[in-house]
Amino acid sequence: MTTTYQPAIPIWCAGCGHFGVQAAMNGAIRTLEIPPHETMILAGIGCSGTVQNNLGTYGYHALHGRVLPTAAGVHLAGHLVHSFRRNASFTYVVMNNGVYGLTKGQNSPTFQSNGSAALEFDAISLGLSIPSTTFLARGFARWTDQLDRLMLAAVEHARAGRGFAFIEVLSPCVTYNDTYPVWEASLHDLDADGDHDPADRAAAFAKLTALAETGRMVVGQIYLADDAGPADPLPRPAAEDTSPTTNAQAYAELLGRYRV
Amino acid sequence: MTLETQRKLNDINVMVAGQGGDGSLTVANLLGVLVGRSGFRMFTSRDVASRIKGGHAAALMRASIAPRGCMGDALDLLVAFDEEAVERGGPWLAENGFVIFDSSGGPAPREHLPAGATVYEIPFARLAVRDLRRDLFKNSLGFGVVARILSVPDDEAADVLSRRFAHLPPRVAEANLGALRAGFAYADDNGLTEGAGPLTLDRAAASDRIHISGNEAVAFGFLAAGGRFFTGYPITPATEILTWLERMLPRFGGVAIQAEDELAAVNMAIGAAMTGTRSMTATSGPGISLMQEGVSHLGSAEIPLVVVDCQRSGPSTGMPTKPEQSDINMVVHGGNGDFPRIVLAPSTPDDCFELSVAASNLAQRIQGPVYLILDQAVSQDSVTTAPFAVDAVQLAAGKRLDADDLSATSEYRRYAVTDDGVSPWAVPGTPAGMSLVTGNERNEWGQVDTAAANRVAMVDKRARKIAAVRDDLPLGRRWGDPDATIGMLGIGMELGAMAEATERLAARGFPVSGLQPRTLWPVLDETVEFIRDHERVYIVEHNAEGQLSHLIASVGAPHDRLRSILKYDGIPFRPGALAARILDAEGVAR
Repeated sequence: MTTTYQPAIPIWCAGCGHFGVQAAMNGAIRTLEIPPHETMILAGIGCSGTVQNNLGTYGYHALHGRVLPTAAGVHLAGHLVHSFRRNASFTYVVMNNGVYGLTKGQNSPTFQSNGSAALEFDAISLGLSIPSTTFLARGFARWTDQLDRLMLAAVEHARAGRGFAFIEVLSPCVTYNDTYPVWEASLHDLDADGDHDPADRAAAFAKLTALAETGRMVVGQIYLADDAGPADPLPRPAAEDTSPTTNAQAYAELLGRYRV
Repeated sequence: MTLETQRKLNDINVMVAGQGGDGSLTVANLLGVLVGRSGFRMFTSRDVASRIKGGHAAALMRASIAPRGCMGDALDLLVAFDEEAVERGGPWLAENGFVIFDSSGGPAPREHLPAGATVYEIPFARLAVRDLRRDLFKNSLGFGVVARILSVPDDEAADVLSRRFAHLPPRVAEANLGALRAGFAYADDNGLTEGAGPLTLDRAAASDRIHISGNEAVAFGFLAAGGRFFTGYPITPATEILTWLERMLPRFGGVAIQAEDELAAVNMAIGAAMTGTRSMTATSGPGISLMQEGVSHLGSAEIPLVVVDCQRSGPSTGMPTKPEQSDINMVVHGGNGDFPRIVLAPSTPDDCFELSVAASNLAQRIQGPVYLILDQAVSQDSVTTAPFAVDAVQLAAGKRLDADDLSATSEYRRYAVTDDGVSPWAVPGTPAGMSLVTGNERNEWGQVDTAAANRVAMVDKRARKIAAVRDDLPLGRRWGDPDATIGMLGIGMELGAMAEATERLAARGFPVSGLQPRTLWPVLDETVEFIRDHERVYIVEHNAEGQLSHLIASVGAPHDRLRSILKYDGIPFRPGALAARILDAEGVAR
């Protein structure tokens, strides 16, 4: 057995929503029996950007704000908008707490300045607006049963090659922006809503928008394309035989095009 | 014109110019094929406005028996589709040069032309529209007149044209042949009879050659070096690398992606490089500015990547279509923090190919950023050269660990401190190779660690990686008289003008020796020694601050021997002008 790094103890404050996110990620990996070497967790800068240290998988700590293109590069496929569009098969977890905890509490772009629960920047709405999106879900860090289920579904979706799985977790910061009570009181659970058909993009958009206007946020499986087949048609360059000998003839032919 | 009065040329400089869309490139290409058959080598260049479409556009071509890497001092032939072309090309015309002017709109503006020039005024566009019903046929018409001036048999010119248009519908090809014949007829009327023009071309033995640009050569070198992942974002003058690889990489199981911006481009490339795929990104100065955080991260997290900078005139958006060498400070010193990097600077297309391969290999060996810096001229000018030695390409994998290696060891530390500073690594997906990769300072396990002793050990480890490959870094190209007391030194596009200026100076009894450093960072000992070995060295560079000169001085070359020859007007040096600047600086009468 080869010894590698020891998974770290999370640096987060007691009560941080990120514990719920990490538990859901860990649960999905274990339930699906994915060996640690087959998992790579890429994370950005800040409190959320330490989760990759804690689970014993391959981990990468990206430059600030650059985790998506890097993940797309790893996955050989894009930023948020472009990842939706490219529909690259990996799971993207947004740990939304509206604040920068690691630099001691400045507002983040998702900070709700009006004090209400309605999101002023809603990544889910953005995802819905892009036709190639296949999986959109939102969980709440304290609602662990649902979060575990959504995380598992997201990882399964991506692993099956059905496309980019986007899951936003409302993960409050108890130290600088404790939104537990206001968020929890404003949630509308689509999974418990007998009317919601996750395959109906237009209905999902309408419901989300209507609820937002009354200061409410939806959680649950918001959208799941029912025809999401194996996407990801990209080749796997890492597995290509790049030896000069193997490719000699093809290179020679290519050179021939420049002969005068 | 009698044969006795013909001038026989072994070196001809031609400019075909008009508005973008006039087809200047078509005429230049036809001419290129024609002279190529006589064993001439070609140097082709473009001078275009930074416009969507249209604007003044010139195709420049030099055909010569000797290999040349720049335009000559004066134009022998100017094909001008409008007055602006005469205004721009005229001052550069040889005293005994020839002008073919499209006089559809009136006579040529003679005030821009030397008194001894011979001018053929032919209403190409009017003829083309009147007789052939299409303005674009004026190119074939013009080519007919050019062929007559060069005393090329009509059949030969027709053959070149037919082959050029072979892929077009027969009707179009036939119409162009008709336009060519109209050109011959017009030439007849103007005293230019077949085979008896004022100029003839010398002949040389044809040999196996290719004609290719620096950008294409860089892309080709990357492919041949096993490169299979490329990201870019369109920018002049780097875009051809992106388009070439978008076309070619998929055929080799690779991926080329147009990212949403340069930040995404470098980070996607970082992600791909982590998987063990040889990766590259290419841009110009403005994109390199954006990529600085990524390059610093490559240095810190120890990820192999080739970053190509096709330099253009700066600062900021600058002059996108004009060459400059003003990113030297940025690529050598840019990015936050201290980290190891290598900067290679090719000149000719074969150099671009070789150094592209070398850059890919070195990136793997140092697990870090390797810059390949070109300039607009190196990137976009095309040169006739010997076919690349694709067979000779060898891949250096660097220190990698696979599952078997890992199972034979009890411990795997991604950032193990080693004698040469290089830590053997396993790519994600390798069983038992789990690692943490981060741009933070970290310990051998990849865990964030700010302890003083660890910090120093890690900075020193990363720095040692350069020492480990130093002896293998590409040495410079040399020319001229090795015993000369005066030296000349420059990179990229300066090579062509410097080498030819050296010949001119030697012919004037003023020997110099030259060096084109191919490794810019670290500055190699040979570069410093070259300065020490000469009384004075002229550092020829396209920027206003003497960035190359400062760089060389900063590593110990004696300041008092350096003389800057600077140019930052967006125009490459011509050999005569460069030679004159050196003679002036030396106080030697020209």
